[in-house]
Amino acid sequence: MQRDHHDLWGGLTLAAAGLGVAVWSGVHYDFGALRAMGPGFFPTILGALLAVLGLLVAIPAWTRAGVPSPIHWPEALAVLGAIVLFGFGMHRLGLVLTTALAVLLASWPAERPGWVWRLALCAAVTALVWLVFGVGLKMSIPLWPQLSRLGIG
Amino acid sequence: MGAWEGLLYGLGVALQPEIMLYCLIGVVLGTLIGVLPGIGAMAAISLLLPITYYITPEAALVMLAGVYYGSQYGGAVSSILLRLPGTPQSAVTALDGYPMARQGRAGQALFASMVSSFVGSILGIVVLVLLASWLGRVATQFGAADYAAMMILGLVAASTIGGGAPAKSFAMVVLGLILGTVGTDVNSGVQRLTFGSTQLMDGVNLVALAMGLFGVAEVIGNIRGSDHGSPDKVTFAQMKPTRDDSRRMVMPTLRGSALGSFFGSLPGTGSTISSFLSYAMERRVARQPERFGSGAIEGVAGPEAANNAAAITAFVPTLTLGIPGDPIMALMLGALVIHGVQPGPMMLEARPEMFWGLVVSFGIGNLLLLILNLPLIGIWVSLLRLPFRWLYPAIIVFVCLGVYSVRGSSFDVLAVAMIGAVGYLLALARFSPALLLLGFVLGPLIETNLRRAMLISRGDPMVFLERPIAAGFILASAALILWSVWGAVRSARRRSATR
Repeated sequence: MQRDHHDLWGGLTLAAAGLGVAVWSGVHYDFGALRAMGPGFFPTILGALLAVLGLLVAIPAWTRAGVPSPIHWPEALAVLGAIVLFGFGMHRLGLVLTTALAVLLASWPAERPGWVWRLALCAAVTALVWLVFGVGLKMSIPLWPQLSRLGIG
Repeated sequence: MGAWEGLLYGLGVALQPEIMLYCLIGVVLGTLIGVLPGIGAMAAISLLLPITYYITPEAALVMLAGVYYGSQYGGAVSSILLRLPGTPQSAVTALDGYPMARQGRAGQALFASMVSSFVGSILGIVVLVLLASWLGRVATQFGAADYAAMMILGLVAASTIGGGAPAKSFAMVVLGLILGTVGTDVNSGVQRLTFGSTQLMDGVNLVALAMGLFGVAEVIGNIRGSDHGSPDKVTFAQMKPTRDDSRRMVMPTLRGSALGSFFGSLPGTGSTISSFLSYAMERRVARQPERFGSGAIEGVAGPEAANNAAAITAFVPTLTLGIPGDPIMALMLGALVIHGVQPGPMMLEARPEMFWGLVVSFGIGNLLLLILNLPLIGIWVSLLRLPFRWLYPAIIVFVCLGVYSVRGSSFDVLAVAMIGAVGYLLALARFSPALLLLGFVLGPLIETNLRRAMLISRGDPMVFLERPIAAGFILASAALILWSVWGAVRSARRRSATR
């Protein structure tokens, strides 16, 4: 059986999210009336609208063949991982180490094999970031690992 | 202030060294981003949003606008040389530009795109000045209902005209509108959809949203298969057009400029659509339409003039009415709102330096682009040899640093990762993140005006049909919705007939 999985799951997710927003807003916020709309008016209506639109996307996808586009897992995980590492690392590891690790992690899924260009890129970007943000702009960011914060985590 | 007085006044603003500097930075960065495939103007503007916190609103707007129209010049380079559009606006340029390059006429194709881009921009500026002064006067008569109706038309037009399945486009707009309601409700002070998070009290952070949806998601999608071939060298001397080339370029450039100026100023139709329409028009009026697709210089000159003209006139509704017509303008508007500047009919009176300074900076910026791009074309072409794998890790680091620098918040950086993951999935399933952003920026404006309109009319929705301006927008929106539903039904029927 052929299905357009992207539209099917995308539509259903959106419909569920819309329903959730509509119900949550309807229950928690004052709906008001047309002449004096409450804070709940807009989100409730929009949530319901999104639920309908999500179903309109999902239902025709049930009987239709789609063009699959696979998720690029290594690329997605490396890039998102680098950002998460950055978010957690900044306060603890400092700017220099965090940047170096993030560049190495992000460059990992690139198709060109070898470690030499990765290390060179890592050194170049880290030096640039250190010069611009640490030395040039003097931003109030810790540059080096904060030992006191490492223990607390 | 009349147009001439305004331009003179704007000249005084735009010639300040600080403004000139940010104009130069904007157009150089824009060209760079445009030349490099894999990252577009939306991502570039998102990346630069944090920097605008440190400079004046005038300089910020001049720089971001420079990135936008600069990217249109740069986008043509990779379109012509590698058939890899650097920006969606220049995709159609590859149709005839790439065959020209294959025939050894890359220089002439680049020359045609640069010069027609310049002419298109200049004509776009003239249209912008004329339309803005007129609209500025008309707009003072706009009421809340008219504003709400016009924004609804903008959203409907953007989701029906842009291509793609209408239901998916509308869903993205509505999702954006919902995200726009997150945070403290201005009328009642109620915390909406924050689920107790104090980080969300001021709403979803525009910088994090834009960077996640465009910067991060585009990078993830473009890493694989990004090793493209290297272009041949191009020098300034090779750009000299033949007499035949120059003759063929004139009319397409003028027609493209007119078309782009018109469609750019309408809500929902931006420079991408203008460039495609211009290509279609040139092929229709050509004496030998069969030349198109195999290196017709008209097919480069027309669309490039059109997309640049449209990029300029897109500022008409944004600046005079405070209503962005496309996602890029929504980002510009968002940048202004960050600075506490609310564009609209009042801005022309209250902050003339903003409007006229920007208009004159368009002229200066385009002149800079022409000077930068013609003699220095060799540099831009050699940049195409830089592989994406050297760029994207740096882009990711700058995304993180940019978001972090806004308010020193790790929460915002983690939010970018989450939004980036969602944005990547949306792009994979062909849901438009650009429409989400448009809805997000317009959402609070629509809600405020809708509430005000209903309060004034004592809850009577007929106000939207009784006021002639609002009624026009509502009828146009209804017509667009009917047209797209009809199109969807027809294509579904055709599909079941062929099965």
